[in-house]
Order: sequence, then C-alpha cells, then structure tokens
Amino acid sequence: MVNALAPETTERVHSPRDAGSTGSAVDGRRRTRLRRRQAVVGYLFLAPTLLFFAVFLILPLGFALLLSMSRWAGFDLGDIDPVGLDNFADLFVDGSTFLAPILTNTLLFALGTVALALAGSVLVANCIDKLRLQGLWRTLYFLPIVTTVVAIGNVWKYMYEPGGLVNGVLNALGLGSVAFLQDPDTALPAVVVVQAWASVGTAILILTAGLKSIPDSYYEAAALDGAGPVTVFWKITLPLLRPSLLFVCITQFITGLQSFALIIVMTKGGPGDATNVAALEMYRQAFSYGDWGTASAAAFVLFAVVLVVTLVQLWIFRLKGEDT
Amino acid sequence: MTPSHRTGGLSRRHFALVLPSALLVSGASGCAAPHQGTGRPGDPIVLTLLSHYASGTLKEALQRPVDEWNATHDRVKVRTKAVEFTDLLTTFMVRQAAGQGADILHPYCLWNGQLVQAGVLRPAPSEHTEEIRRGYGGAAVGASSVGGKIYGYPTEVQTYALYYNKRLLREAGIARPPRTWRELEDAAYRTARRDGYGNTLVQGFGLSTYDDSTTVGQTLALLNAAGGTFVSADGRSTAIDSPAGRAVFDLEHRLVVKGASAPGVNVYKAFQSGQVAMVVSAGWWTGSLKTEMGKDYRDVGVAPLPVPEADDRRATLSTGFMLGVNTASEHPREAWEFLRWLNTEKVSVKSAKKGATATRMSSLQVSVGSLTGRAEDMRTLLSEGSDPNLRPFLDALAYAVPEPNVVGAQQAKSLLRKNIEALWTGQQSVDESLRTIRRQVDEEVSRSW
Repeated sequence: MVNALAPETTERVHSPRDAGSTGSAVDGRRRTRLRRRQAVVGYLFLAPTLLFFAVFLILPLGFALLLSMSRWAGFDLGDIDPVGLDNFADLFVDGSTFLAPILTNTLLFALGTVALALAGSVLVANCIDKLRLQGLWRTLYFLPIVTTVVAIGNVWKYMYEPGGLVNGVLNALGLGSVAFLQDPDTALPAVVVVQAWASVGTAILILTAGLKSIPDSYYEAAALDGAGPVTVFWKITLPLLRPSLLFVCITQFITGLQSFALIIVMTKGGPGDATNVAALEMYRQAFSYGDWGTASAAAFVLFAVVLVVTLVQLWIFRLKGEDT
Repeated sequence: MTPSHRTGGLSRRHFALVLPSALLVSGASGCAAPHQGTGRPGDPIVLTLLSHYASGTLKEALQRPVDEWNATHDRVKVRTKAVEFTDLLTTFMVRQAAGQGADILHPYCLWNGQLVQAGVLRPAPSEHTEEIRRGYGGAAVGASSVGGKIYGYPTEVQTYALYYNKRLLREAGIARPPRTWRELEDAAYRTARRDGYGNTLVQGFGLSTYDDSTTVGQTLALLNAAGGTFVSADGRSTAIDSPAGRAVFDLEHRLVVKGASAPGVNVYKAFQSGQVAMVVSAGWWTGSLKTEMGKDYRDVGVAPLPVPEADDRRATLSTGFMLGVNTASEHPREAWEFLRWLNTEKVSVKSAKKGATATRMSSLQVSVGSLTGRAEDMRTLLSEGSDPNLRPFLDALAYAVPEPNVVGAQQAKSLLRKNIEALWTGQQSVDESLRTIRRQVDEEVSRSW
C-alpha cells in the first residue's frame, strides 16, 4: 500500500500546477503522512487475521512441505529425516496403488458426486421454484447436511446390505440381490450416490437463490414468443444460472476430492482398494502407519489435483462467457 | 534411532526443525496437559493409563484393580483413560505428538515395532523382564518383544480356533466339528443355503471383511495351521507366497466361488443369528457371544483349528495386548511398579478351590471371557464351572504362532487384507494375490526406517 502511493506522490511534485508552490507541497506531505498512518492502522487491523493465518495456515503448510520431503514417524521432532523427493517418487513408482486405483477413485468419486448432485439439484431446485411452501421443501432437502456423516453412512450401509431395503425392493420387483458395497464394480458408484444425495441440499439452496435472481421479464417474453418449458429451461434458466452452477460445481468438486468420511464409514476403502481415495490413504499413512512423509507428499499431490481441476473448471466456464 | 540416541543434544538441523514446530506443540500441550502430580508429600503422583477398555464389562473389569490400587497406595495413584479399539492407535499417535501421551499404554502388540521405532515404548527394566519371561508363555513374550527386547507385560493373549454352530452341523448330518480342511470344506458346502434371489441364508464357512484384524486373523490362523508364516523370521520379507499360502488362498477362493462363504455378510452378526455354520475367530469372542446370544449360546461350540491333513502338527495364530510404559513418562519406576502389582502379584481366587491364586490381570481377563498368556493362572481360573468353549483357546497357547510385530506390521496387515478381499471378490486370482502381497509387503517391511 505504501509503495503504491510513491509514484502518485512523485507525479504530484512534478506536476506543473504544484511546482514551486510551498503550501501545496506541505499539503502533499501531510496527505502522504495521513495515508501512511491510515496504512499502518489498516495493517494493525489486519494483524490478528494475518497472525491467525500465519499460525494455522502458513506454519502448518511449511511443516507439511518439510514432512513431504522427510521420513517421520510422527512423535519426536528430532527424528525428522530428510529424504528429498523420495516420498513423491514412491507414490508414483511402478506397482504403487496411489495413482491407480486411489487417485483414479478420487477423481471418479468427485466427478460422479458433482454430476449427480448438480443434475439432481438443478432439477429439484427448478421444481421447488414452482411450488408453494418452498421453505419447507428446501429444509427437507437440506436435512442430510445437518446430519452426521456417520449416521448417514450407517443408515445407507444397512439399506445396501444383502437383506436390506434396497435389495428388498429389487427382490419385490422379481430381481436378484446385488452386493452393492461388497462387489468392487458397484461399491464406488453406491457410495457416490450417497455422497451426492447428502450434498444435494446445499446445491439446492444456492441454485434456488440463483433462480430467484433471474428476472421474470425473460420468462414473460419467452411465453409471449410461445417457448415451451423445455426451451425456457435450456435457453433461459440454465444459461442465467451459470454463476450459481459455477460456484456449486467448484465447491462440490473440491469437497468430493477431499472427502473420505463417508467412505470410511461405509466401506473402509474396500473391497480391496475399490473405494479407497487419496484423503483416506493420507489419513491411514499418517495416523495408522506413522508414515507422515508419505501422507504429506500425498497431500501435496491432492492439492495439485484440486488446483488443476478448479482451474480447468474456471477456464471452461470462462469459455462459456462467465466472468468469475 | 534408539531412545538413548534421542536424549543427546539436538543437532543444528534438528534445532531448526524443532523451533517452529515446538511453538505449536508446546502451545497445545500447555493448554491441556494432564495433571501428573509432583510426588511431593501430600501431592501424589498420578499415572495415566490409556487403554481400549472403554465400555461395559471391560471398563468395569479394569477399573476394579485400579480402584484397589488407589485405595491401598497413597503416594501413586492411577487414572484410566479409554478409547474404542478402532481409535486406539490414532489416539496414541495424536496424544504423543501433542506431548500428552499417557504414562502407561495398552497397545495391540502388532503395533509394538512401530511404537518402539518411534521411541514411544520404554524397554522393561531387567527385574521385570525376568518376571515376564518366567511367568508367560512363549507366544505372549514374543508378542511383547521387539528385536528380542521385552517392552511390557502381556495382558490378554488371543488364540484362534474354529467356532461352529452345533445345531446347523447336526441338521446337515455332521456329528462332530471338522478336524481337517477336507472335512471343513465338506461341512461348509453341506450347511450353506441361499434363497432364489441369491441372498445367503446360511454361510457354511464365514469369511469376515469387518476389519483388518478379523479378515487377516482367520487367514493367518489357517496359514499357520498349514505350516506357513506371514513374515520371515528376520522380519524383512513376507513368506506368504509359499505352498501353505497358496493352499489357504485356494481353500478360501473355492469356498467363495462355490457359494459356501459370502464375505459381504457381517459374520459377527450372522453367526449370532444362526446364519453361519463355522467361522475362525479369536477367543475374545466367547465373552461377547455369551452376552448377546442368551440361551442360543448353547448351540455354540469351539474346536481346535482344522489342519490340512489329519496327522499334521497343530498350529494357529496368536495375537495380544500388553501394558507398557511411555518413554515420555516422568514416573517410569512407579509405572512399572503398578504393572508388576497388576500382572505378577498373585491373589486368591474366590471362584476356584481353596488356596488357589492368580494375578489380578488373569482374573480380570477370565471375568470378561478372555485369556492371558499365563497358562498356569488360566488353568486355575478355568478349573471348575467355567465355559468349556475357552478350553481350546487355552490349549492353543502351547502351539500358537505370535503375530509378527515388525516396524511396518500394521501397514503389512492392511495390504494383506486388501489383497485377500481382492481375491474373494474376484478382482485377483490366487497367483496374482500372492504375487501382489509379496511385492507390496516386502517393499513395506524392508524399508529402512
């Protein structure tokens, strides 16, 4: 902020109008002093926040970076043993399960969750927007958000069991039972459905707000032109909902890439590694195996993935003309 | 790095690393450090004991001797803290990192290599080592040792045997529990039943996917019974890719493919409901089954683990817990003294014949339907009127193979579980599973920590 003022001050001194005017020079110095003082006060107000970020973000980040290039069992700081980039190399060495299936599962889990939650929430939000008692419907759909993941995971786990509700329905329809969480081919999709169901409430809330911001005049004009509901949805609602969709898409994707609580409750990453994801692997490496170096390296890889995915999403939306 | 190395001065590199991190750790520990007492007159030393005896009978059983100690000792008091077993290792890790590790730890022996390597467990002083070697069976001493050094008093020792449902076997025309793998397979196919939709009504032989311990425990028990081992004697490679390992994997694979096992079903619930004819599990389960099955417990029988051929030598897996002292404890001498009092001092046993004695820990374990590695105590405590289903586990103490507790043991176990599940669910063949386990586990246990 101080540096930003410097060119302005120089410009004023060289201004023909101010040149040779002692009074104006004094005013300029006063103004500079005042601005400097304001800047100091500004920084003072920022200090607690900066301190908070330094202690709880920058310091841990630096420590994690150090650990990602070290071997450490997690107890004695004196035992941190630098190993360079070995931990990163180990993650991608031939035969390592981190790239496939763990990172692949992570991306599929996030992608599946976002696709289902987005499609479901657009549909439901659009329907709710046309109903009475909208607050009630929004509350009902929001309920899974305020329910603990452990409860949700356990309830759905029982529903998916061979003698559970879902298979009961399938049997009642004359179909054979499916081992949803025990079959490696169905386990990940089964958990994705639950994660999407659990996160659809937030998306509905945001999209409903987005729908309310679309002026009625567009719909009135479309009605006068004789546009049908499908055309109205594709040509008016969806394009104008893009800012909300962008927000939902990015936040849900980040949440999806980082989440593991539901998986640990429902499948513990199994069968085999069929539902194992990066965050779960990091948790296990650090807290179960005492390998903080590998866990930290995996965390930085996941960070890179989240960053790239987010940038790609922003780029795609920008291509579509969305100014973020 | 050994604890003695760590007590030396910090190098410049270590100091640079310690400085920023110490700010966080000291801040955290300073906020909520447990009161340990100073030991000054009038201010007793308070030792904390962290275990997984978190609820129900286990919690009460541990609290009884602790209350007795506290009532009879003025200078040293013991305070118990407990978390569920599934959170125990994580709790050790987090509390230790935050400078809040308990004085006395109650780890699963599988983690000992990891905890010793991280400098958490203190080696037992020589006088305690002698008592442990003298009083406990080989499997218990082995489980409490790392690199030949003993790190604590063995508490519960679990051996694996075959649980079977007498009613289901009888209904299938089988008069006695299987003694060989051929009989086991035959009984499994004869007892298994499914409905028209493919739902399993009765599993002939239960295969658990509940967690690492249950999934891996039953496979390793069968592996030991076939004369194999999971990890080589030096702990630097896996030995599962052997004829014995192949035989176990073939057996389990056949049972799944032919429909006698349904790994998706929770075996531990299904057995209680009479939906599993046979399952391999550890002795701790008898206590739970008795409580939860009520009168149906009369259908439960326990037999020694079947061996591949009738004349094969018996062997099974043994796992265990121990009580050790934290390197960070400020009062190790007092902590060891409490452990000696709990684990070696003999007191009279009310339920047994007059004059019979056993340690407090042995009595505690039997009261919750479990065993210790003190065979002598167990025989005293199980002499009259006790559950006959505990007897095969006690007999197995003589021939059980301790679970390997090398540095990467927990991770090796998880890798084994993943590959076993991949085998059961058809993702991998027997050959692929054995090859993958060997590659992954070898890489883990041979790491130069």
